[in-house]
This record gives sequence, C-alpha cells and structure tokens, in this order.
Amino acid sequence: MHYDTIIIGAGLAGLSAALRRAALGERVLVLAKGYGASGWTAGCVDVWAAGDAPLSALATLVRSRPQHPYALVGLEALQRGLEWVRTLAAAAGYPLVGGWERGLRLPTALGALRSTCLVPLTMVAGESRQLADGPLLIAGLRELRDFFPPLIAENLRAQGYAATGCYLQMPPGERQRECTPLHVAQCFEQAHVRANIGQQLRTHVRQGGYRRIGLPGVLGLHQAPAVVAELQALSGALIFEIPTLPTSVPGLRLFHVFEQAALAAGVRMQVGGWVVRAEAEGQQLVAVYSRAAAREQRHSARRWVLATGGMLGGGLRSDAHGHIIETALGLPVAKPYSRAEWFDPLLFAPGGHPIFQAGIAVDPQLRPLDAEGRVVYENVAVVGGALAHYDELREGCREGVALATGYGEEQKNR
Amino acid sequence: MPYETEVLIIGGGATGLGCALDLALRGIGCILVEKGDLASGTTGRYHGLLHSGGRYVTSDPQSARECARENVILRRIMPHCLEDTSGVFVVTPWDDADYADQFVANCHAAGVAVQELPLAELQRRESLLNRAISRAFELHDGSADSFLAARSLALAVESAGARIFSYHQLERLIRMGDRVVAGVVTDRRSGEQQRIDCAYVLNASGAWAGRVAALAGVQLTLVAGKGTMVAMNHRMVNTVVNRCKYPADGDIIVPIHTVAVLGTTDLHVPDPDHYGIEAHEVALLLAEGEKLIPGLSRYRALRAWAGVRPLYQDSGQRGGADRAIPRTFKLLDHRERDGVAGLISLVGGKWTTYRLMAEEAVNLVAQRLGKLQPCRTAHEVLPVPATEHRAHLPPLRGAAARYGAQTEHKATWPINGLAQPWGQNEIQGLDADYYYLGQHLGAVEQSQAAGDLICECELVTRARVLTALEQGIHTLDDIRRTLRVGMGPCQGGWCVYRTAALLYEVQQTQAQDAPIDPNMALRDFLQARWKGALPILWGDQLRQARLDEQIYVGLLGVDLIADS
Repeated sequence: MHYDTIIIGAGLAGLSAALRRAALGERVLVLAKGYGASGWTAGCVDVWAAGDAPLSALATLVRSRPQHPYALVGLEALQRGLEWVRTLAAAAGYPLVGGWERGLRLPTALGALRSTCLVPLTMVAGESRQLADGPLLIAGLRELRDFFPPLIAENLRAQGYAATGCYLQMPPGERQRECTPLHVAQCFEQAHVRANIGQQLRTHVRQGGYRRIGLPGVLGLHQAPAVVAELQALSGALIFEIPTLPTSVPGLRLFHVFEQAALAAGVRMQVGGWVVRAEAEGQQLVAVYSRAAAREQRHSARRWVLATGGMLGGGLRSDAHGHIIETALGLPVAKPYSRAEWFDPLLFAPGGHPIFQAGIAVDPQLRPLDAEGRVVYENVAVVGGALAHYDELREGCREGVALATGYGEEQKNR
Repeated sequence: MPYETEVLIIGGGATGLGCALDLALRGIGCILVEKGDLASGTTGRYHGLLHSGGRYVTSDPQSARECARENVILRRIMPHCLEDTSGVFVVTPWDDADYADQFVANCHAAGVAVQELPLAELQRRESLLNRAISRAFELHDGSADSFLAARSLALAVESAGARIFSYHQLERLIRMGDRVVAGVVTDRRSGEQQRIDCAYVLNASGAWAGRVAALAGVQLTLVAGKGTMVAMNHRMVNTVVNRCKYPADGDIIVPIHTVAVLGTTDLHVPDPDHYGIEAHEVALLLAEGEKLIPGLSRYRALRAWAGVRPLYQDSGQRGGADRAIPRTFKLLDHRERDGVAGLISLVGGKWTTYRLMAEEAVNLVAQRLGKLQPCRTAHEVLPVPATEHRAHLPPLRGAAARYGAQTEHKATWPINGLAQPWGQNEIQGLDADYYYLGQHLGAVEQSQAAGDLICECELVTRARVLTALEQGIHTLDDIRRTLRVGMGPCQGGWCVYRTAALLYEVQQTQAQDAPIDPNMALRDFLQARWKGALPILWGDQLRQARLDEQIYVGLLGVDLIADS
C-alpha cells in the first residue's frame, strides 16, 4: 500500500504529525520500533524550564539560538501546538491545564519543585503557589517502591511547605508480588479500592486538618480525573498526583490520548516495525525497509516524517569510536567534534552534556541537512528528539518541541 | 582519655583486617583504623581473581607458590565469598606457542596444579571463546567478592574482641626517641581527635604505606601501579580466562557476580589518591578482550575503574617496568631497616595472599611481645554477615546446590596435576558452600520477594537494605559495597533513589549524631558513578545514562534541591 505520509516513530512528535496530516485527509502510516519514551516522562507538557515566564524567555531564545528547534519553526507553531494539544486532551476526557505565559511548578517524587507548562487535571492541585495554603499530606503505599512520602515531605518542609508524609495500607486482596505503578493504577480503577483509600485519607484529614493531599501518579490508567474527583469527595481534601519513576502512568495516559486519537482518525500504526534502511532517488526518499519477524518489509510514501527521538528514544546511537549514527535512514548527524567533548565531568553541570545536543541539523522546513548545509532529502521532515542543537531534558522542552515541530511540520511542507 | 592497645593497625583492606583477626585470635589486643570504609582502597578495586598462582609461575614463582597455598586455605575459611569458577590459560594465535610447555613446567616447579584441557571440552564449557585457541590448561582459579570478605573479616574481628574504627584518618605517629608509641586519629564524621597508645604499629595501608611511614619519620618508597579494569554487563564466560603468556596488559577475564571483568593495565602513578582512566587503556582492554572472545566489545560495558597496586622494590633496584617488580610481599621491620622500633610495614602482595601476609607480620609482632599462641586464621571459618541472602535463608549445600542435576558438567573434572600439593576433596571443593551465581535469584524466589526489590539489577531486596541500614551502614557507597546496590546495568537509576529514601526513613527512627543528608548523598553517589561510567559511555550504556539523567533531572529534580 502506498501512503501519502509515513511517520517513523510513535512518540508525541510522530503522533502529532500523524494526527495533523490525517486531519487533512492524507493516508498516514506510523511505523515504529516501540512506543516512544512517553512512559519515561512526567506526563506533563514541558515547554521551557528556566524561569516563571516561559513565553518571554522563549522570545529571547529564538533570537539568541537560531538553530534551536523553536527558532526554526517559530513560536507561532509552538502556540498552535499547545492550543491543539489542549483541545485534543480535553476531547479525550483528560484535560490539560496551564499555559505558556506563566509556568507551573509541581512537586516531584523527591519533593523538588519542577517547572512545566501544561499539566493534567489530576496534578494541578499540587501547583506550588497554592501549596502554601495549609497543612499538606503526602501519602503513599509501602508496596510501591518508587514513592517515599517521608522524604518528599521533608524536602517540601525545607522549602517552607507544611508537609507531612505517611503510608496508607494497600486494600486487602490487592497486594501482588510485583507492585508496579501500572498495577497500582489498575487497582485504582476498582470502586472498592477507591473507597478503602478514600476512607484512610478521610481519617488522616480529620486528624491533621490537611487541605491538600499528594499521592503517587498512579490514580487510574483510563479514568484518572474521575478517580481524583472521587478521592477528593471521600477525603474532604484536594488531591494531586506526583509523577513516579518509570513506568510513569501519567506519561502513558498522555500517550494513550494521542494513540487513541490517531487510530480514530484512521492512522495506521505498525509497531514492531524497526526501520533499518532507506531507498532514495536523488534527493527524494522513495521507500524504507522495516525489519520484523525475521524479514524485511518495504514501505513507500510520498512524504516522510522522521520522529525517532534522540539518544534516549533510540533514534541516535553511538559506538566506542565516537561515531553517532541516525538509526533509521542513516542521515548525517551534527555532533561534538570528538568523544573527548561529549561529556562534562560533573553529572549535574547546569548546561548538561554536549553529546545530548547531537542530532539531525535541519533547515527551516525541517528537512535534514548534511555537514555542508545541503538538503539530504527534500521530502523528509525531522521532528522531536532527533533534532540537533538542543537538550530536551536540561532545557525542559521535550513536549514543547515535539508539538511545535510535530504539529507544525505540515505547515512548513504543504 | 587515650585508648590503649597492644597493636595499632593502619588500613582497613584485606591485609589490615587479616592482621586484626590474627592478632585477636592469638589474644593480642589491637585496634584497626581506616580512613574510609572498609575495602574502599585497593582491596575493593581489583578484578576479583582468586589466584591459582598460574599468573605468576614464570615471572614470580614465590608468589605463585604462596597463591597456590592460600587458595586452598581461603576456600576453607570463606567459601561464601568465593565462586568456584575454575580457570583456564589459553594459547591464542597472538601468543608464543612455545611458551605453553614452559608454563606447564613452571607450574609444576612452583607447585601449582595444572592440567591440559582438551579443546573440545573447552569449547563445550565456554562456547564464546575464540575458536582459534590452540591449547588450554585448567588451573584452580576462582573469583572472590572482596567487599564481602572484608565484611566477614570485620565481623570475625569484632566478635574476637578487637575494635575497628572506619572513617578515622591517621594524623600523626608519636615517637619517643627511636620508638613509635602512639597514633593520633581524627574521626572524619565528628572531627574529634583520639590518641591511641600502642606497643606496635602495623602499617597495612597498601599503596599509602609510604605516607604512614613518613609520619614516623621513616622513608619508604612504593611504586603505585595503577591497574584499570572494565566491567562488562554480561558473563561471556563462567571460567576465569587468562592468556597463556608472560603476564601483560589486558590478558585476563574474570567472571564475578553478574559481570565479567576485563583486566588490567599497569601504569605508574605518582599519587594513589589521584589518577584518571585514559581512553587508550579502555581501548586496549577491549581490543585484547576481543582476542579471547571475538565480538566482546559489542557487549555493553558498565563501568571502568582502577586500583593501585602497592609495589615495593628494595632501594637501589629501581628502573624497569612495573610488571617486573615482584608481586610477593615484604615484611619491613623498621627497627632493623631504619632504626625506628615499634613500626612494622607490610608492603606488596595481593588479595589472595592477605592471610599469609598477616600471619607473618603477626608472627613477628607476637614474638616481640612474647606471645606464644599459634596462628589460627587458616582454620577459623569466617562468619556470614546478616546482610547476605543466605543469612536470612537456610543455606543450599555443596555441589548439588551449585550445579543441580548437572554435576557432570564441571565438578567431576579433576585437576589431578602432576605436582598436586593437596587432597582430592579439597581440590574439587565438592562439599564447600561456595557462592554460586544463581544464589540471589534463588533466595529472592524462595522468599517470594520479587515484588520488593530495591535494586532489580543485583536482586537486592528491601529486607537486605533495611538490615544494612539498621546495622549502621549509613553511606550509599558503603551500602553499595555491602549489597552491590547500584553496581548493575542501570548504575543506580532506580535503586539509589529508593535506597536514599529508605536511609532517610531509617535515620528518622534512630538517634543519630550526624544524620546524613539524603539529597546530598544521592547527588554524590550519582556523581561518583558518573565518573566511573564516563570512559565507557557509548551504545546502550550511553542510552542508559540518558535514562538515568531523565529520572534524576527530568523526573525527580535532584539538581533543584538545596542541601539541608
């Protein structure tokens, strides 16, 4: 079957591009090795970490760093992407709250306050400006190994919040040998679990007079806003989720919003199709070959979007000799000059590590460029983490860039 | 009030702990001081080989003889710290084929049991080894958990009534005339100073021995021979594999716990506290490893680290390569050597011979003190720390537990070498309760604790972490050395956050003089892991490092928290 557009990669960037193109009536295939890195994230939309006012910081950024993806696609593309994702999530019954004029800061599973822009409804009661309005309870389950209320509360207290940590009892019959965040999230979809936990929270609220309660981000996989509403009603306090270590349930929820929308829009998704090489005619990419079930399959399309991610997502891979390859199409990679320059000796160096700014250099239409600045394929756009000249993690802009480039790609390449 | 003891031991590595145990068992009072955690120096930074002696039969026959003897003794006294891997010396196309016969002859001369292994048997056991290997010899090598051995030794020392002060820095040695009579140490946690009066100071500080001697005004020059190692995230072999040649860089692979260690390089460094790992060392180890296991460098490398060998050469013999310096140990009586009484230094040597070094040093001290009790360390079996799985569970016994129904797989292969210095049962170790690779998994399954793993890579349960914390092991690095938390492929991605949080919770329930800041501990630990990972970050391990960064910076915001 011949497609109008084939997207390689099923993260937020790839699915944004797929949804946008499907909405215009194109036949779209998403070809992916796996499900992207969404389950490793907090499940929020990070746009820019530094400062309380992302919008004004970004206005400076696009002038000072013209190679940054935001500068290439423009802030209007980002704004359109943010508006679109809010509409998308609201339609899926999983509303996102916030905006880019004023950043939000929410507690992490260590009790730090982390900057982001849009957060799911299930987290918004944890926003730092509201947290100071009274005594605050952080509650977890001992069986869940990735959430430690006493330490979270200690670190919040050190920042001036009246926080207390406690452990709740896992309702009988729900203890399992392997108590993963996903398993606990499924537990919360059962009415008797919500009733039991709600009752325990109610007792704590009566004793401690808590206004707000922070719980691990495991309050249901599919109906999280309803779970939070029910727990609020039962406990008599405002409830907010705090994202846990991978597997992150809020990250998965956000992914499911995109995935369900894509399937509903008629996008075909082929996961487990690992793109291993490309076939080109001059500057036109004609086909790619995916490998699955011990054979190769040829896929052809008119246009292509590369959304395979960076070093974390698996779109880039390095070897011991300092080479970095782009794994799907073999595109040229912009990277630090030598391996000696890959890392800062300090892990938490504020600027991050140069290797993680490696990626595919692109022109303003997001077409891949070689070392001399020539377009490699005219019918390919690169979006999301595979792009060069930014660090999505340290700059706190993973979802922002994914949306700005993924959703904005089509407008650049009509 | 100064402490008073008969012997003050400097250094909490295998040698110092061995001396403390030997003294205590002979009823001689002693105090051991160590500036860091036990086994935080070279003891904890070597490749983990239990020497058969084979590596030294040509270059240093005396060391070979000592290793062969001690090998048998260690199997008796600390089986839980040893894995009975066996060892092979193989002739690859890059090695001088004529050396093999000389090697065998040298083994016989040094009393090191050896037997040629048919190539078909070698390939059956170790299918990934280079098929171009032309000959192979089996020896009695094994692998050793030197962290665990240090803990076991410390337990034995303390139950024998001696005291161990870790995190105590030796500041001064006090001389009265030409005799050392006391040491002054600083508790690095509280900052308090303490004087310890003693009849003898035993300097067992390894590569740092020159500095300790200098505190008594004695000049002692050691060559710090840095050896770099790389841990691979896979046991490509289950047998220790050596190149059958004169010892050189990168000629050994030691399977230990869940990893295989490529060793080693040998570079002279001026300062045992400050050295780096060079990219060319890692490249060399991988390139040499490829000769033994083709494709080895495509496996994931976990970490590179280095230790410093305390090599000693009598004055006037300097020059030449470090590897030419004998690996055997020297007992230096500074009364004879320098005219300073009350100070004895133990230099050189290796982990496998720690007990023998201690025995000889203590013999000298005991003789001077007029104590006549004989050494007992060759017969006293060391206790198993409570932090071990098997301390919580009924032990699995003997070879049947190790190999299940497949006993013919390996255990029946005899090493009936021509020069066989010990009995058949001891050679095969069939009744010993050795460490075996599946131990942790077996214990986790038996206790149905799979859902309560704090460290999934090394299968460390919450119960073991809490046991360690409740026993007063309170830095994340000490917990790592005790439990291997953070040593696996994720290098701390999940487990260190969990361990730091548990550390905080346990500290809340205990009265602590100086509680550890969990945030700072977390950051320091991750930074230390980062340093060891930098030389080998590429491929999947680079991806892993990025995931760890996503967890600690992207999700937890470790970098956003101020120290409390």
